[in-house]
Amino acid sequence: MLFWQILIDGFAISSLYALGATGFTLIFGVTGVLNLSHGAIMVAAAVAAWAAAGSLGVGSYLGAAFGVLTGLLLSLATYFLVVRRLQRSQRIREEEKEIFILTATLLWGIMIQEAIAYLYTNNAKTVLPIVDGVVSIVGVRTPANEIFTAVVCWLTIGALWLFVNRTRAGKAVLAASMNPRGVTLLGIELSVVYVAVWAIYGALAGTAGVLLGMFLGVSSYSAGPLTASAFSIVVLGGLGSVSGSLIAAYVVGYLETLTAYLVSPAYRAIPALLLLVVVMYVRPRGLLGRR
Amino acid sequence: MLRRILLSPPVWISLIVVLVASTLPLYVSGYVLGLLTIAYYFGVFSMAWDLLFGFANEVNFGPTFLIGLGAYTAGILDSLYQPPIFVCVAAGVFAAVTGGIVLALPALRVRGPYFGLTTLVAVLILQNFIVVAAELTGGEIGLTVPDVISIDDKINYWISLGFMAASGAILYGLSRSPVGLILQASGQDAVQAGALGFNVTKHKLAAFIVSAFFSGLAGALMVFYLGVASVGTFVDVTVGVQVIIGAVLGGRRTILGAALGAVFLIAMGEALRPLGDLATFIVSAIALAVVLLFPGGLLGMVKGAREAT
Amino acid sequence: MSAADVPLEVKGLYKRFGGLTAVKDVSFSIKAGEILGLIGPNGSGKSTVMKSILGVERPDGGSVRINGVEVAGWPPHKIARLGVGMVFQHSRPLHRQTVLENIILGLLPDKLLDFFPDPAVEKRAREIAERVGLGAALDRRPSTLPFADLRKMEIAKAIARNPKVVLVDEPFAGLTARETAAFAKLIVEMRDDGRAVLIVDHNVKSVSALVDRIYAMYVGERIAEGSVQEVMQNETVRRVYLGGALETAARPESAFRDVQTPFLSVDRLNVFYGKAQALEDVSIHVHHGEFVAIVGLNGAGKTTLFNAISGLTPYAGEIRRQGRSLRGKTAASIARDGIVQSPEGRELFTEMTVRENLEMGGGRLDEKDRLERLEWLFDLFPILKARANQTAGTLSGGEQQMLTIARALMMRPDLLILDEPTLGLAPVIMEQISKALERLRQTTPITVLLGEQNVTFALPHADRVYVLEHARIVWEGDPSRFASEIGERYL
Repeated sequence: MLFWQILIDGFAISSLYALGATGFTLIFGVTGVLNLSHGAIMVAAAVAAWAAAGSLGVGSYLGAAFGVLTGLLLSLATYFLVVRRLQRSQRIREEEKEIFILTATLLWGIMIQEAIAYLYTNNAKTVLPIVDGVVSIVGVRTPANEIFTAVVCWLTIGALWLFVNRTRAGKAVLAASMNPRGVTLLGIELSVVYVAVWAIYGALAGTAGVLLGMFLGVSSYSAGPLTASAFSIVVLGGLGSVSGSLIAAYVVGYLETLTAYLVSPAYRAIPALLLLVVVMYVRPRGLLGRR
Repeated sequence: MLRRILLSPPVWISLIVVLVASTLPLYVSGYVLGLLTIAYYFGVFSMAWDLLFGFANEVNFGPTFLIGLGAYTAGILDSLYQPPIFVCVAAGVFAAVTGGIVLALPALRVRGPYFGLTTLVAVLILQNFIVVAAELTGGEIGLTVPDVISIDDKINYWISLGFMAASGAILYGLSRSPVGLILQASGQDAVQAGALGFNVTKHKLAAFIVSAFFSGLAGALMVFYLGVASVGTFVDVTVGVQVIIGAVLGGRRTILGAALGAVFLIAMGEALRPLGDLATFIVSAIALAVVLLFPGGLLGMVKGAREAT
Repeated sequence: MSAADVPLEVKGLYKRFGGLTAVKDVSFSIKAGEILGLIGPNGSGKSTVMKSILGVERPDGGSVRINGVEVAGWPPHKIARLGVGMVFQHSRPLHRQTVLENIILGLLPDKLLDFFPDPAVEKRAREIAERVGLGAALDRRPSTLPFADLRKMEIAKAIARNPKVVLVDEPFAGLTARETAAFAKLIVEMRDDGRAVLIVDHNVKSVSALVDRIYAMYVGERIAEGSVQEVMQNETVRRVYLGGALETAARPESAFRDVQTPFLSVDRLNVFYGKAQALEDVSIHVHHGEFVAIVGLNGAGKTTLFNAISGLTPYAGEIRRQGRSLRGKTAASIARDGIVQSPEGRELFTEMTVRENLEMGGGRLDEKDRLERLEWLFDLFPILKARANQTAGTLSGGEQQMLTIARALMMRPDLLILDEPTLGLAPVIMEQISKALERLRQTTPITVLLGEQNVTFALPHADRVYVLEHARIVWEGDPSRFASEIGERYL
């Protein structure tokens, strides 16, 4: 019984991690940016959905849509206001740009986090779930919401896969992650590709945030740990490898769930961190890392 | 040339500033003194960070790993056995230096964003460990330390100021010495530094150890000022961010600018406290604005007028 | 001959990178007071040889002896301390330090506890600076110095500790003619001091006045060794650089209709990379439907010229397409409007298949046109059809080159820029590309700008030829006059 419970819970949380990590990897793979405001964007999306559905009373579907839209807009703001400016700066040496972008996105994330805390307090909030009730799977009573979460995560990831592999625009994005100069030489404006990628990333992070809000709830304090777990997963799987992130998300998700159930919820983050340390020492480029 | 360094503007301006600062206890309130005392310790945190980043070109995203090791080791030792303070401080420094070496080993083998990530992970691990081993460390509530260096505001202030001045002198001196030159070359282009006959790994490791030494020492001393060690003061990532921002704000690769930036940041944060939750937001916003608009930092803005960088 | 007389000795050097053999069985030695030129085009392996001597790369086989001591596999700083100095091509001085301090860096011992500046070190640094002619610039910062002085500073750093062996990488890149002479004098002084000097460069001509002997490489191996005269007349060397006998098939310039406003005109183009001048007052023009060849050795500036036309690099001067300036247009829009590059670096999407790469090129065509175009290209390059579903990264060099050209052609360009399409390719592949080019010329109205080092390949496809040498156009004219007027001087 416990086994099935762990399996199901682990699957749901891992799927959520996978969605968040996919976005994080996408941005890094195409633009080379490690966005440290990732968690803040997710939380902002969740809080926006909560505010819309709850206080403004638009209902759970519209609320969720509002949340995803918030994620998208915030992501574009991150790109235009913070990242692009630094990437184009003449006053910073090329080798230092990465560090500046890391610091700036970190600061930006803190700003978002504090703004949320100021406007809505730092109490935990749960977003109005779209799906209610409890179902029984192999004898385990599971909230329907949990199944919903896993399903939506995979549908989104699937949609992304279709986009990248089957549409012209998506292939341009994929090509840009392989060779940005090649894309320019073929007449595609890289600047347009970048805007598109940040928009997609925003939608992914927004969706992940809203789902998390429905499933477990968020608070402004969640922003940091969310970013931390996203990049741990991405580093574990290999920076720039989407399939690596997916696998790593499940490894981390299940490690956490197993620890929470079998040892204690307070220690759940430890094994994943230890694994990360081992990987850093033994194989720094991760499971399937390219760069 | 040594004479030229000693008489250069940054040095005598700093001397004047320190002299003026040492007279503050005569006419300034205890509250301000306390604020500045902490600010000066942060000044040392930022200077130690700048040595590593500005010179060896290694971005340490978790300076609080080293600071926390120093602070908590000293604090735990004191709360368990109450040995003399200097023994605890020495233990803290030892722990921080050991941590620095452990961090340096994988760090020096990887490039680019991986190193920054390694340092960030180290902080998370330390934080989790402290929270989990609560009986030993006080967990999230914090650890009360039985001894303090002094209960007098003025004495604590002078100790902190003196410590910052001494650390600043040593770190700045290092940065301008031949060793500092080698470190800069190693950080900027490891291949060319190797071709000039320098063992880059050795020098970067040394930079780590020095950075760890001062971070740990400052952390341990600060514990015996505050009388309390907590995750929120010494280990949390946001504390680390403050350290980094202080250094970047002041002007990277200047050492002295780092102290300036850190003090400025703490003072600003305190001045904005009446605004409540908005304070952190505003401080972050200002720091972000400086990063975006003045990448050379405060000192960079001043220098830029005088010479081409 | 004792070890002291032969400070640098390389024997049977061998280095692989994954599946690629970069250096195979390279052996040479340099006596004290001798300059050896290590010459080869891009990809010849000369940089790998240099890095193996320095310790930056660890050889997979063979030996490197400095002053008789075996150093293969040693870390770079130990090799440097043994007595090897290096003058890098792309020097990066410490910008916040003065010239004097930068030179002092070359004299410092590798100590951790070196806290106090040593006046003896400073004195020696001043002496070295005087020697290379930087005495007046000692207290200035590198960013205020002209390019030639920065190069002198690099020499000062390299010889500071009196090394027996000095390596110089592309000494004259970015220097004017007068600066080149001054720099050459410094290198000769190094030799006269009794050092063994190794100069690594692309082309024989630029260092011919300087070196005592030459060791020429191609695709990882030695192709010739001996005096400058011997090497320049060596069959294989001439074939690699020049190709074989020269054939021409030019159409006269008057045959092109747009005489007044050529399709492409480049006026007084100047391009700088930092302080180094990559192109100096370059002016060319290309008529609609014309095939123009820009010939020049590696490093002459062909790629820079093409990148300026394609909008990939900033420039001073005018570039006009059908009379309208291209300045201010993004690189992608220039490509969309019909000026398309098949770059030297190929820039393929290595994890996509051949077909996907081609379809990316035809992205803006509608389905029918795209399929038609694809078929036409498969006909032009049959091997691509056979490999249509293979990943681009797994193709051979020649196949990748054909894919690069085909992908550019998928965009239906008005002007196709081909940058070194035959570099490193086997003759049989060059034949195929040559045939494809010929078909393009006969059956389509396409305009082509061909940048090539291999004159034998380029001339039969050219209506007009420009010769680019060290950032300047030194000759323009009819291909048939090329052999008589420039031929011998080319190499």
